[in-house]
Amino acid sequence: MKHLIPEFEALKTRLPPGLDSILVLPCLRRIQDDRGYIADEDIDGLVEYLGVPRIQIEEVLTFYTMLRRKPLGRWHVQVCRNVSCSMRGAEPLIKHLSNRLGVKPGETTADGRFTLSTVECLGSCGTAPVVMVNERYHELQDAQSLDALLEELK
Amino acid sequence: MTGRKILMNFEVTPDSHTLGAYLGRGGYQTIAKVLREMKPEDVTKEIVASGIQGRGGAAFPAGRKWQVVDPHDGQPHFLIANADEGEPGTFKDRWVLEHSPHTLLESMLVAAYALAARHTFVYIRGEFDQPYTRLAAAVEEAYAAGYFGENILGSGFSCDVYVFRGAGAYVCGEASSLLASIEGSRGYPRNRPPRLTVKGLFQRPTVVNNVETLSNLAWIIAHGAEEYRKVGTPKSPGTRLISISGHIQRPGVYEVEMGYSWAKFLHEDCGGVLHGRKLKALIPGGISSQVLTGHGAKVLTADSVDSLLLDHQALWDVGSSLGSGGMIAIAEGTCMVRLLQVMLRFYHHESCGQCTPCREGMGWAHRIIDRIVSGEGRPEDIDRLLHISKFNDGTTICGLGDAAGYATIAFIEHFRDEFEYLIEHKRSKNDGRLECLPEVANA
Amino acid sequence: MPEIFINGQPYEADPDQTVLQVALANGIYVPYFCWHPQLSVAGNCRICMIEEEGRGVDIGCNMPVKAGMRVLTESEEVRSHRKAILQFITLNHPVDCGICDKAGECVLQDYHYEYNGSPSMSGDPKVRSTKFYDLSDRIVLDNERCILCSRCVRFTHEISKSHGLGIEQRADVSLVRPSTDGSFRDDPYSDNVVDICPVGALLSRSFFYKARVWYLTKTPSVCPGCERGCRIDIWHRKPEWQVQSLDTGENTAIARITPHENSEVNGPWICNKGRDLARIFERRRADGAMLKGKPASVAEAATEARRLIKAAARPVALVSSWGSNEELEAFRASLGSMFTALVKPDHLPAAGEVLEDDLLIRPDKNPNTGKARELFGTAPAVIPADADLVLVWGEGCDFSKIPAGARIILLGSWLAPENGHADVFIPVSIQTERSGHYTNCQGVVSGFEACFPRAPGVADAEALFAQLAGAAP
Repeated sequence: MKHLIPEFEALKTRLPPGLDSILVLPCLRRIQDDRGYIADEDIDGLVEYLGVPRIQIEEVLTFYTMLRRKPLGRWHVQVCRNVSCSMRGAEPLIKHLSNRLGVKPGETTADGRFTLSTVECLGSCGTAPVVMVNERYHELQDAQSLDALLEELK
Repeated sequence: MTGRKILMNFEVTPDSHTLGAYLGRGGYQTIAKVLREMKPEDVTKEIVASGIQGRGGAAFPAGRKWQVVDPHDGQPHFLIANADEGEPGTFKDRWVLEHSPHTLLESMLVAAYALAARHTFVYIRGEFDQPYTRLAAAVEEAYAAGYFGENILGSGFSCDVYVFRGAGAYVCGEASSLLASIEGSRGYPRNRPPRLTVKGLFQRPTVVNNVETLSNLAWIIAHGAEEYRKVGTPKSPGTRLISISGHIQRPGVYEVEMGYSWAKFLHEDCGGVLHGRKLKALIPGGISSQVLTGHGAKVLTADSVDSLLLDHQALWDVGSSLGSGGMIAIAEGTCMVRLLQVMLRFYHHESCGQCTPCREGMGWAHRIIDRIVSGEGRPEDIDRLLHISKFNDGTTICGLGDAAGYATIAFIEHFRDEFEYLIEHKRSKNDGRLECLPEVANA
Repeated sequence: MPEIFINGQPYEADPDQTVLQVALANGIYVPYFCWHPQLSVAGNCRICMIEEEGRGVDIGCNMPVKAGMRVLTESEEVRSHRKAILQFITLNHPVDCGICDKAGECVLQDYHYEYNGSPSMSGDPKVRSTKFYDLSDRIVLDNERCILCSRCVRFTHEISKSHGLGIEQRADVSLVRPSTDGSFRDDPYSDNVVDICPVGALLSRSFFYKARVWYLTKTPSVCPGCERGCRIDIWHRKPEWQVQSLDTGENTAIARITPHENSEVNGPWICNKGRDLARIFERRRADGAMLKGKPASVAEAATEARRLIKAAARPVALVSSWGSNEELEAFRASLGSMFTALVKPDHLPAAGEVLEDDLLIRPDKNPNTGKARELFGTAPAVIPADADLVLVWGEGCDFSKIPAGARIILLGSWLAPENGHADVFIPVSIQTERSGHYTNCQGVVSGFEACFPRAPGVADAEALFAQLAGAAP
């Protein structure tokens, strides 16, 4: 995490001075982009850098669903199953992916390539069902398009 | 056509989101005019006169919120654009962020000037990738062109903007939990009083406005409040960005003038219900309209839709609300019990766990509906769901618990027979269907 | 001063008060879990619902006073909301009062009887959670009993400032958890969270399954752990519930120690050392007088001591900083003119003990140094080399510093190797066996009362001093 401090310092130029706890979430997200998850030493480093109580970071890490303490598969496949996506076939899609990848939602394939998750509304209801692979949205998905997508990711 | 346009008044091209394209549409002339000619209170006066209501869900007059903040009181103020668009069925702000981020940024400058806010934030939901990328790029363009930073356009006014990405928590769309999130904490909503305009971010006066609300401001100041009031209806001036999804032929984001006919919008502009099916129900403004508000987006039945006009007052009159503008069309043949199950699972998942009625009630309701759907329902379950809803209404810190209750009450009120049928026969009256498939339509 | 109407009656209110505070201050009870007079308003339990006429119900703990407002604390609306909130709170609470240490002093139990009284509306299994989670080696957490009022969390952020606790996860699987940096374990005030927990979620290891509280009574006392002199309650077996068999030592044992709330000294808090006074008081007692190590009666020992005092040319007394005001006064009245009296610290800071902080803990680890110095001066407790008699009262004397050949009179309470070497050893009572007062570092006088009868064969120092001075034995 230490090597990212110059980046964090740069963020401060557009932030109100003296309110460094604002950087808790931005730093955590950046660290996760860098490492894939948040490790103990990252928390140590952030506590020291931002001067916030450790428990505050520990609370934050368990509150926000996007933050994780363990690495996921190479590709994190998240299928939205909220109202609009369910109405456009998300449930069969989850079953299809589950069968194809051989894992249940929340699990990672044995080869570490895919983690399958379900997720609540991604704000892409007009192009439902939506599947998010790592950071990218894949909209208007069906079994065929997902199969093609998985092929591409191999 | 869905009436006059304020935000979608240009043709979307691959580069509409860039500064060049925005300048070509006359962009950043309004803030130049404001900085040159107007005092902060003149701007606020104009916004109050426009009568624009918040587009996040509560439809609170935006100007009145601003009036609480005294731009000359010498303390720091903050302005925050709420782009934590997480209300199921709602994806309208995303359109602004993806296609016209500078409209938001220029409007934020106007607002920041009126509120004497040196630092502003856009709180964008954590999952949004393309909207973030485009907004962040627009911010860099704006800084490079001198629209943000020190001494903007030589006026002496300085303002910074920071795009703050969430990290996956629906409740952070509620203004006070959004602030907690920026402050680096878990997103627990705060009790009111104090209002955020009195003690908001780091205990300083803070205005939190929805992206769509803010994005209208540049137009209002450019054309004047009087001109704005000519659009829409007297009680609900302007337009709404409506995002429509579910069982509808042409889902997407539409800008609809207030007072426009719902029936026309649904059946003509959006092409009607999928596969020519009949409309069973309509969720008018996001499944809970907005976390903050007490006005819930109750489900509307097909009959009530036909006679309605798109107008905040008109919706309140029928006991619902335009909410966040996230419309979900539900076709005949859909299992309303299963649909409520999806919603209650969502509310349970997203309850922050802070206050008792929501923390316990959401899990309780979710377990009950799961049991009903799995054929283990008990006759008293319906009353239990209503009880949980009743005692979440107005008893919680934020509106999440209320909203879940509104959805529950509305579903049970209008489709009680489906619940009773499932409990009694241990199977769904509609085969547990959530999708609207063509073969079903033909059957 | 705005006037507000509670249940139709007018009351004067402070403009900064909340309606809940006004109600409580005027003897109108409104139930509350998360609110605490010393902590910030969390407003999360939602039980303190109050109806403002014309505006519906809202929580009283965050309801500002407005002149002329009319509120109701017992309306139908309020009662139905309270009942509903209790149904929510007990939804996943195990209601295992029968095996819960908190039973008998549990706010949730009281409220259930008073405001709910109905069985659970839910027939579904409860959400299970962690039992017996060690927050530290002192405190056990039962997450199933926890109602997430956040009092303990706020205590560590706002009072002890250790930031030792937080709430992790969300929704109905939210959990109180300690910071992994050990800041709660190291928080010298951690046990206060047990007191302020309104339910049986936080329990003290030292009191775990030790006694039902209704068999106990409390005696007001003062913590001798430092010169702050915090007011405490010492809990012990009720006389009418004395154990007749098994270990009768239970009857004179300290069951637990809690703060005795007061505004002058320590508010509702004490530090962990104050909770552990049994470690000091319940060391093995010296229960008989001795003359050069040979058992003697207190009377014989007193006679010998009197003789030594009379014979001494340069007697020195090391006065106890644990003596009560009454004992110190008695010493001065009876023996003050006979001795060169020096005040000695009976206890020095132990290894690892917090020396001083901004809340309560003071560097002088004795309760009455101030009063003793007031009476006997501030000279350091250095024994002059020509002293021929040293009277040592209490602990903390380095016997190697006593000049060779000087005679020693020792008044002590606990077993110690020095007892047998003194020319005269007389056992004296301890704080829990007598009443008295201490004057703390701020000059505030606090009193303590006897919890237990004085052990047989043990003298009372206050009376003993007169005997030693030569009055009738």
